[in-house]
Amino acid sequence: MYNLIAVEFFKLRKNRSFWTLLIALAAISLVYPLMYYFDHQSSGEPQFTGAEFLGTFIASNTYAIKFGVAVLAGFFISNEYATGIMKTIASSGNTRGRLYVAKLTGFAVGVMLVSLVFPIVSTVEVTLLSGFGHLPEGSTEFFIPRVLGLTLLYTAAYAAIGALIAVILTDSGKTIGFSMIFLLMVDIVLAGIGSKVEFFGKVYDYSIFKLIGDIGKPSIDSGDLPALLLVPLLTIALCAMLGIFVFRRKDIK
Amino acid sequence: MQEYVLKTNQLSKKFKGHRALDKVNLSIRRGSIYGFIGQNGAGKSTLIRLVTGLAFPTEGSIELFGTSEEQALIQARKRIGSSIESPALFPHMTASENLEANRILRGIPGKDCVPRMLKQVGLEETGKKKAKNFSLGMKQRLGLAIALLGDPEFLILDEPTNGLDPMGVIEMRELLKKLNRESGITILISSHILSELHLMASHYGIIDRGRLLEQLTAKELDEKCRQYVYIKVNDPGMATAVIQNELGTTDFEVMQDGGIKLYNRIEQPSKISSALFSAGLEVEKFTSMSEDLESYFTKRIGGNPHV
Repeated sequence: MYNLIAVEFFKLRKNRSFWTLLIALAAISLVYPLMYYFDHQSSGEPQFTGAEFLGTFIASNTYAIKFGVAVLAGFFISNEYATGIMKTIASSGNTRGRLYVAKLTGFAVGVMLVSLVFPIVSTVEVTLLSGFGHLPEGSTEFFIPRVLGLTLLYTAAYAAIGALIAVILTDSGKTIGFSMIFLLMVDIVLAGIGSKVEFFGKVYDYSIFKLIGDIGKPSIDSGDLPALLLVPLLTIALCAMLGIFVFRRKDIK
Repeated sequence: MQEYVLKTNQLSKKFKGHRALDKVNLSIRRGSIYGFIGQNGAGKSTLIRLVTGLAFPTEGSIELFGTSEEQALIQARKRIGSSIESPALFPHMTASENLEANRILRGIPGKDCVPRMLKQVGLEETGKKKAKNFSLGMKQRLGLAIALLGDPEFLILDEPTNGLDPMGVIEMRELLKKLNRESGITILISSHILSELHLMASHYGIIDRGRLLEQLTAKELDEKCRQYVYIKVNDPGMATAVIQNELGTTDFEVMQDGGIKLYNRIEQPSKISSALFSAGLEVEKFTSMSEDLESYFTKRIGGNPHV
């Protein structure tokens, strides 16, 4: 199993789409706070501090996560069907279950790294420009590790969904297109149906799509914490099982 | 030690109602070079994909190195090196990086096998050139190097000479023969270049429309490839009458170009020629020949090589 995960990391390191994504996001993460900085400077409004910026804009990171999942699912997983690499992997004398878990691990780590670019680069930049400031009222010293930790956990859950889509569609174009539409629309669809059918409302309330919005809350009630942790974990487990189920039965062309 | 590295038992594969493989019983003896012959869509790649675990049989079973149990089969595939349909390469990696990725995947300790393999297939000078910029021949060589990583006992190659120049074809053939001779690697090789297969295979399997028509050794094939006298004269109609009347045989074929293949008379060239001359025929060509693998294959699948 170690060598299967090691090769996924090796491939990730050499994957051009991954590096392009990281660099592009880093550039956007540098430009985005600068626009606020110059805007506030000209209008005379007080500048964001690093802590304020992180708390306020962490929700925007969801788009970076969704984009990262869709692009990497296409170029890191589905593309291996087109290049024939999946044939080499599948005939390497390892069970399909192990292969899928290794692939998911490499993919999830890749997207997790992508998910950290915006919060880290932007927060560091704003801190350098205007200082770190004070943590939001009601938060503790664990605010930043909690935000980053939950970001990683929710990213892994999104990655599990992306990997499942990739293994079903096996075509990079279809995977990127479908993942992008699905991940961008799922909130609107679930929220819309949920407003009419109570059951779907509950499903949406306890899905990663809704709960990811709570990552940046200054404080989380102890009663909400189990759901905030369990939902992404269950999503990962369920999607991984479904992915293994599909991958074990699929002929590789 | 098992006598056979691969045996299939009534192996069948259906795709949406179409039988791509139909009850195939194939066996590959250890140490042999098995030439797998069939037209496009005959089922060669399907069988290879089932053996390597890329697809699952609809019916029947596969026995690799004497084992057919599911988990043991997965383990047995670690002893196989393969290049299926087209070389599977990471386009943005160099030859060396491609091999390194596969080395890690297979858990092969030590990096020294990477330059060794590159040298073996003549790609040691490719440096930082990415695989996407390789010629098809170079890609084939790299695919072979990847298949050879970890010193497999059984090598499965699907059209390995595709895209190779004549020298490349010869080098590939010599390399495969050397591997078979010196390392005892069993090789299953499918190719459309039958003349090329004829120069290296010790065994043959002929597949057509999903059915394995025949398995035979090179010796058996040589015996079956009939020898004949090829005659070309100014009047083929008259020549056939002479052959029937003077030589008393109907065991001949008239080709579309007017040439005549006369079987079972190879030891009587003077008798044949004098009969033709006596009839006043002008002989343009008179030579003894034997059928090659291509003709035998075409006959076996029911086609006509001269049409």
